[in-house]
Order: sequence, then C-alpha cells, then structure tokens
Amino acid sequence: MAATPTDRAGILPAAELSIGRFVRLLALTLAILGGLLLTGLALMTVASIIGRALIPLGLRPITGDFEMVELGCAVAICAFLPWCQLTRGHVTVDVFVGLGPRSLHRFTQLTGDLVITVIAVILLWRFWLGMHEMISNGQETYLLGLPIWYGYVGGVIGMCLFLLVSVFTVWRDINDIASGAETEV
Amino acid sequence: MSNFELALLSFPIMLGLIFLRVPIAAAMGLNGFVGTWIVLGRPDPVLNQLKSMTYDTFSSYSLSIIPLFLLMGQFATKSGMSAALFRAAADWLGHRKGGVAMAAVGACAGFGAVCGSSLATASTMGQVALPEMRKHGYSDALATGVLAAGGTLGILIPPSVILVIYAIYTEQNVIKMFAAAMIPGILAALGYMAVVAIYARIRPDAAVTAPRKPYSERFANLISIWPVVATFVLVIGGIYVGWFTPTEGAAVGAVATGLYAAFTGGLNRAGLVDCIVQTAKTSAMIFLILLGAQIFNSFLAFTQTPASLAEWVTEQGFAPYLVLAIILVIYLIFGCVMDSLSMILLTMPVFFPIVEALDFGLTPEETAIWFGVLVLIVVEVGLITPPVGMNLFIINSMAKDIPIRRTYAGVAPFVVSDLARVVVLAAFPVITLWLVRVLF
Repeated sequence: MAATPTDRAGILPAAELSIGRFVRLLALTLAILGGLLLTGLALMTVASIIGRALIPLGLRPITGDFEMVELGCAVAICAFLPWCQLTRGHVTVDVFVGLGPRSLHRFTQLTGDLVITVIAVILLWRFWLGMHEMISNGQETYLLGLPIWYGYVGGVIGMCLFLLVSVFTVWRDINDIASGAETEV
Repeated sequence: MSNFELALLSFPIMLGLIFLRVPIAAAMGLNGFVGTWIVLGRPDPVLNQLKSMTYDTFSSYSLSIIPLFLLMGQFATKSGMSAALFRAAADWLGHRKGGVAMAAVGACAGFGAVCGSSLATASTMGQVALPEMRKHGYSDALATGVLAAGGTLGILIPPSVILVIYAIYTEQNVIKMFAAAMIPGILAALGYMAVVAIYARIRPDAAVTAPRKPYSERFANLISIWPVVATFVLVIGGIYVGWFTPTEGAAVGAVATGLYAAFTGGLNRAGLVDCIVQTAKTSAMIFLILLGAQIFNSFLAFTQTPASLAEWVTEQGFAPYLVLAIILVIYLIFGCVMDSLSMILLTMPVFFPIVEALDFGLTPEETAIWFGVLVLIVVEVGLITPPVGMNLFIINSMAKDIPIRRTYAGVAPFVVSDLARVVVLAAFPVITLWLVRVLF
C-alpha cells in the first residue's frame, strides 16, 4: 500500500485505506486457512494411500477420502476467491487498453470490478439458495453420510467475503480514478 | 434472430468485453447467463442451474487435481530443486558454446517434471539461471529469451495443469495425455538447445563458454537431482501403474515436494504462507474461469451451435489438415493477447467437436490426444509471443535494466523452433502417439 492518506482522493479516502487494511487481513486469513485445509487434504490422501497399500499389514484406507477431498476443495476454492479479487488475480487482456492513456486503464479496472461484483451477487444469491435446498433435502455423501450442506456452509463464508471484497475493489477503483494513481496490491 | 445467430453474436460481444479488460471469467459467465436467458425466454432455468453449479464445479474430484498440482509446484519452487537442476545441467553442458543457456533449458525441462505451470517454472528457473548467464557474459537477449522459452517446458512436460483441464473437458485419460506430451516435451527441450547452439555460432560474443568440469564433480551434482527424479517417478509412475488416481498422485506430489522443501529449509513459516497464497490466487483464478466457461458452454449447448458447426464443417468436405491448420493458426493469433487456459476453455466446445468429426486416419481417442498436444504447444507459444507473453514479462521483470524489446528479440528464434515442431508433430502424429501406443 504505497498511497498515504494525504495523496488519496475520492469517496472517504481515509476510511478506504483503513478498511482496506482490514479487508486485506480478512481475505489473507481466509486464503491461508483454505490453503491449510488443502494441505491437510493432501496429507489425508497420502495417509489413505499408505493405508490402502498396507492392507496386508492390517492397515486400511481412510473411509470416504474422496468425499472429504471434494467437500474440502469446494470450501478451499471459495476461500481463495476473495484474495484473488483483492490482489487483481483474474486474467484480463490488457494490451488493447494499454495502448490508451493510463486513466483508461483505471476506468476499465472499475468496469471490470463492477462486472465481477454483479457476478459475485448472482453467485452468492444462488449459492445461498442452493445451501438451503441442501439443508432441507438432507442430501448426504455416499460413504461417510456427510451432509452436503456442510460444504455449502463452509463455502458461503468465502462467497460472502468475495462479494464484500468485490464491493471494496469498486470503491478502491473509484478512488484510484479520483487520485489519478493505482493502489499497489 | 435464431439461436445459432445469437451464439455467433455472443463471441464478438464477449471478445469486446475481454478486450476492455473485463476479467475473462466474468465475461464468459455474464455472456452465458444472459445468453441462456434470451434463448430460453426466461431466467429461471439458468438461475436454477446456478444453485448447484458453483459447488459442483468447485467440488469436482477430477478438478481438485488442479490446486494440488499447483501446491506441488509451489513447494518445488522453495525446495532448492531448481538450483540443483541448474548446477547439474551446467556441469554437463556449460563448457559447450552457449552451454550455460543450454543448461538453463535442461534445468527448465527437469523442473517441468515436478511443476505443472509455465509461469512458476519461468520465474523459479529465472531466479537461478538469469544471474548465472549474466555473470558468464551472455547477451541480455539470449539470457532472457532462453528462459522465457524454457519456462514453457513447465507445462509441456508432465505434470501439466493445462493438459489436465483439456483431458477433463474432452473426457480423455489424463495419464495417456501425459504420456503423449513426453516426447514432444523432450523434442521441445532439444529444439531450444539447438537454437542456442546455432545462436552461439552466429554470435559467439553472445554466449561465452564456461570451463569444463571434471567428471567426478559432474556425477556428484547429477546425483543431487535425485529428489526431482524420485518425485516424478513416484507421481507419474504411481498414477500409470494404478497405485493411485491422478488426483491422489497430485496430493502425493504436493506432500513429497512439501516435505523435501521443509527438509532443505526452504519452507519456513514465511515460505509456507507464500506457497499457500500463490496457490490460492492461481486456483481461484482458474476455478472462476472454469465456472464462467461452464456457464457459457451450457448456453452454447442450448443453442446447439457446436454440433451444427461441426456438422457444417464435415458437410463442406474440407481437407482435415486444412481445418486443423486453420484452428492452430487461430490459437497462435489469439495467443498473442490471451492466456492459454481461457483460450482452450473458450474454444474447445466449438473446435473439439469439429476435430472429432474429421478423419485423420486415427482412432477417435488418438485424434483427441494428438490434437490436445498440438493445441497445448500452440497456446504455449502465446506465452512467449509479444505483445502479451506472460513468460517474457516475468523474466524481464527480474532484470529491470534489460529493455523488453531485447527480450522480444531474444525469444524470436525459440518461437521459430516451436512453430517448426508444431508442423512436424502435426504431419507425423506417430511421434506424439508412439509412447501412448507402447505404454497402453
């Protein structure tokens, strides 16, 4: 964060910077938790493979390891979305806008983040309904009998923060345009 | 307006959005959403679909191989494997004309065997090899060009994230795809080394030779790359002989490289956080594109455009190789401005049925595998062609004093070698398919 409160303009620039630090902390924490979950799933998978290989020695694979990978990965990927959005991790084609002035680049950053925000609203709204459907129909995984909605509840945290971060990036973009300088991420 | 026309119209609209820097995932998703709404006349079906589509995509067992392979590659970057590979390769090749650059190619290929991403390979090997090449007085153009090109080996030599995604979307066997990419990957490395050799003969001042190393030292350093060999054999071999599924193989690879990185000391707390954060960012980027593509493809399927297009192409009776050539050229053109994954996901629903319908004298499965490898190579060329070549940017950002046009110039001969290889592989499918036929 190179900008200091004094050279920031736009909508509540000081609040944007302090809220920005908070949002960053949230997104980073969630991404790290998701990554640790992913690492844990990898370790669990290896343990299960070893168990399967050593059946003759009386060991056995972990029951429902595939199901845990599926459920855990869904939660982890949702947890990664806010960080990707905050740090401008999405793939964009910059070359044509790059031919124009830098202000055009900032303006298209705003339109891009607005589209992402619309998408985030739709995704969260549908995900939320999907979660309720799963809670009411009680669908479970095949082997462990884990309710699918566990995965939805884990995922909805990431989806909520994804929307929050998207709204924040729109705010940041507006202030970037007003200040004539991009926030470094 | 017919559904077919609507689908055709959606492509320029989407490209327009993408060229205005709307994230590719969002452009695909939004187009698919609005398009399906128009085709079906009401929003309910697509809204209903979206209740489960996000979760289903993110929780797909076959797709969970992607974050695991990414994690494996990230751990590998912290493990010191890249330095060991480069040292070993430099010992064997360094005394030749252009030998240090050849060593960089060899090390990139070796690193590609534990890392499925071009960008990670380019940046990791760049950190190791770029300072060495500059120290030995290699020209800026050659040093940056060879590393940018070498980085593409990361994705050509298995494991490869892009190949995995291609295999899943075209319902091919992942491990057969990996086997098919092996020989083209090795040919790519040899081709790049040949480019360096020619370069060094034409411009001897650009590539200085290093002193010859005694064999004792060479073998000692060769042994130090055992973790790379062991990981590759364990992961790819284990999937091949059926010890574990591809996704499990990726988990094994992540744990193996993670443990090794922890053992060599590269994976302290800061290193671990860095690996996780990088994996998080790339995984989210990829899965959002996968989701966007899913929404867009379901729209295309409603309009039945892919099937009608494929039917039309076969009815015209075009020569199969002409159609293939046109498709590959389209990838090369788009590759100049677009990234590999988006390009593949965007075009596969249309191109794949067309290619499937053409007769190349191969079985359908062989056609799909061979086409996948060809597409992989041409989209990878996009990583090293101006104006937008991510590998060029990554390598160039490591040496800020080198102007980007020197890097553009340096990579040009490697692009030529890529194109020559595509022509050879397209003309002789047996080169790609030989190993698959032998192994399966």
